Amino acid sequence: MTETKPTPKEYLSGLKPIWCPGCGDFAVLNAVAKALATMELPREKVAVVSGIGCSSRLPGYLSTYGFNSIHGRALPIAAGLKLSRPDITVMAVGGDGDIFSIGGNHLPHVARRNIDLTCVVMDNSIYGLTKGQVSPTTPLGEKTITTGYGSIDDPIQPLKLLLSYEASFVAQSTSLDMNHLVSMIVAAMKHKGFSFVNVRSPCVTYRGKDQYDTIRQRSKYIDKEPDYDPTDMRKAWHHAITPEYISLGVLYQKPRDTYDERQGRVREAAKAGREWSISDVMKGFMP
Amino acid sequence: MECHDITVGMAGSGGDGVVSAGDILAASAAAEGINCIMLKSFGPQIRGGESSCRLRLSTKQIYSQGDLIDVLVVYNWPDFARFGAELEVRDGAYVLVEEKDKTEDVPLSNASRCKLIKIPFEKLATEDAGNPKAKNMVTLGILGAMFGLPTEGIKRAIERKFKRKGEAVVAANHKAIDIGIDYVKAHGGPAADLHFVFSPAKSYMALTGNEATAFGALAAGCRFFASYPITPATEIMEWLSRELPKFGGTVLQAEDEISAINSVVGASFGGVRSMTATSGPGMSLKMEAMGLAAMAELPIVIVDVQRGGPSTGIPTKTEQADLMQAVYGMHGDAPHAVLAPSDVEDCFEVAWRAFKIAEEYQMPVIILSDQLIGQRKETVTPFDVSKVNVPGRIAPKLKEGDKFLRYEDTKSGVSPITWPGMKGGEYLASGIEHTEEGTPSSQHETHERMSEKRARKLDTLASEYKFIRRYGSEKPVVGVLGWGSSKGAIREAVERLNQTGLAVAALIPEIIYPLQTPEIKKFVSSCKHLLVVELSHSGQFEHYLAANALLPADVLHYRFSGGRVFTSKEMEMAIRAAAEGVAYEPKAPTEARKMMGKDEE
Repeated sequence: MTETKPTPKEYLSGLKPIWCPGCGDFAVLNAVAKALATMELPREKVAVVSGIGCSSRLPGYLSTYGFNSIHGRALPIAAGLKLSRPDITVMAVGGDGDIFSIGGNHLPHVARRNIDLTCVVMDNSIYGLTKGQVSPTTPLGEKTITTGYGSIDDPIQPLKLLLSYEASFVAQSTSLDMNHLVSMIVAAMKHKGFSFVNVRSPCVTYRGKDQYDTIRQRSKYIDKEPDYDPTDMRKAWHHAITPEYISLGVLYQKPRDTYDERQGRVREAAKAGREWSISDVMKGFMP
Repeated sequence: MECHDITVGMAGSGGDGVVSAGDILAASAAAEGINCIMLKSFGPQIRGGESSCRLRLSTKQIYSQGDLIDVLVVYNWPDFARFGAELEVRDGAYVLVEEKDKTEDVPLSNASRCKLIKIPFEKLATEDAGNPKAKNMVTLGILGAMFGLPTEGIKRAIERKFKRKGEAVVAANHKAIDIGIDYVKAHGGPAADLHFVFSPAKSYMALTGNEATAFGALAAGCRFFASYPITPATEIMEWLSRELPKFGGTVLQAEDEISAINSVVGASFGGVRSMTATSGPGMSLKMEAMGLAAMAELPIVIVDVQRGGPSTGIPTKTEQADLMQAVYGMHGDAPHAVLAPSDVEDCFEVAWRAFKIAEEYQMPVIILSDQLIGQRKETVTPFDVSKVNVPGRIAPKLKEGDKFLRYEDTKSGVSPITWPGMKGGEYLASGIEHTEEGTPSSQHETHERMSEKRARKLDTLASEYKFIRRYGSEKPVVGVLGWGSSKGAIREAVERLNQTGLAVAALIPEIIYPLQTPEIKKFVSSCKHLLVVELSHSGQFEHYLAANALLPADVLHYRFSGGRVFTSKEMEMAIRAAAEGVAYEPKAPTEARKMMGKDEE
């Protein structure tokens, strides 16, 4: 029997996406398939979990195990899956509304627990599926269908959030650069612990050409910088907060114990060197 | 006078250790094979607030906490007054009061008909035992010597409890017990008219309903548990956080209720048996994810240890008013099951059966427990763990090239299920409506067909699975319909009334949803009068049964809101009234309860 390398196509279900022509999410779907092929992961060993939104349709277009769940809950579902099945490669995908707004409370906790999964956010700064409402990353002053006089909410800045949560891997990419996107997703999946990739993924329907133009004009590959060092938190902060450019690349990466590893030590301590049966435990109720 | 059934109450401040004294007494009862039910109650303070406990000890099988107190220990009356309604004493009861307490207006409506005895608890502890904290141990010695409670058992329970702290600690506590015993010898000896008599029998276990629920889940193969702290359910997480890791399982204290249940859904998607536990407010937060589990057809178990509601309500006290939420709270048509344990032993039984149903029918199963059984400590014979039988999910035989239909429309409604790692079984689980293959669909035809398929599981469940208990006469004048923790008082009242010659019966369904309609119909038609009993002000259970056309027009009810529990004496009166076709009104608040009202923050 000869082993052949899997092709990206094998990771696609063949179902036609409902996305609009020109949507950045097509690139993310293809990048995920390419990343899985690059990693040569068996399809049955991969599970991709999402919540609700345009981008959350993504797992349905893959041929791996998938879970298209409810709004905001991709991360806790992915966490529960990974903690109970550490042998499975788990990815959580979703949009900026799903991950930063309705599901915003889960992000810091998955990050601090360093649960070994990859979160890919397709950040388009708009609620697309519900047709164009302001989102947590919509720039201040932008007009949307619910902010006809311009948005009065300061936007969330994802990279700053993730750095303050001390996520052990923080990266940003864009659907405009397929090779870079694939390399970021691969690096994130290879990272032991929680990895986060913010993907600037334009919405052509509700944001027109603007996002494409902004990304094209203002992006900068930070690993080309002479003093690039992703283990340096201060440099990571600089790339996250600079108003001068949109940082693309791995801003921060510092492996530490995963939740599963720590849980393993809890199990060892609880077992105290012996095998336990149900009857053993029941004895604890005897006077 | 010999007795075989005695109820002891104790009230004091946090530092008085009344609850730990109660725990020791319960443990000694269990060791001697005496039946015991113990309730604890706390004030709102985290530390140092007032607390109380009541224990009923009996040589016979008991089902409730006992009605009126035979022996009451009061370290100070203001503390007692906070619990007056929970610690009502019978006429002729012994009331042992701290000598130092100078309260003139004793908050006991029947104080003049009780035997009030002043005892220098504090002095005995401080001066004789040399430690003010030994007050509770001195008290146990006094109770043992005066009323025949098992002093040797108490000493052994102390030894087991304090062994790890060293021999000196054990000896000091034993000394305090002896000081109490000696005090009784020197001051009139044992009570002449109240002496508990028992012969040592095979030891029982002593545990709470929450512990039994957690243990039942563990025995059923639960290996992932995620929860968020909430009174009165937290002991389930506390117990599992100690025990589950011994079996390679995982306990996650999640960031919120929503995360807890969603991670449970994720673990179940991964093929691992999983559970979450909460109380009413947490249930409301978890509802959306229960709908997801119903739609994605994933087995999960949710425990709701009910408390007084709505909102924060009374977190430390019981109520049975989450029934409608558990049955009808979800959005959409979401097939699921609701089971209700009725005592501590049942918590174990219901917990493992909940897993069996969840796994077999691929749906969320709610366990509706409540504070009364969740937090009460009860003696039970060791569980028969050999009967725990939760068959694993049946994986389909997958052949290369075959299209796997995860949501296949089958006769039973149950479809083949796979989980990550299984080659050829890859599918999309989804909360969005989907075809048999799992492909999203917004077609009415698909929705109708899949709704029908999912609902069919409930029909299959209702026809294949019976879980209902019936007590009393076959041809009753009064039939009582109740559920959950109300069973204790109902069962005792029914058994006593039958002994007096009044033919009565009770039906307690353990599966609340889907309703076991034929069994309930049969029971209702066999009764002359029907009485529905529940701890719900609005009468949720009665409305639920009525909505399912199960009740006659002249149905009677006996109910009130939570915050207090049924007593079997009152239950008897309610049933007697029903036998005459008359509704029974709960009695007016006692003096103690009035005083408690004034004390409220």
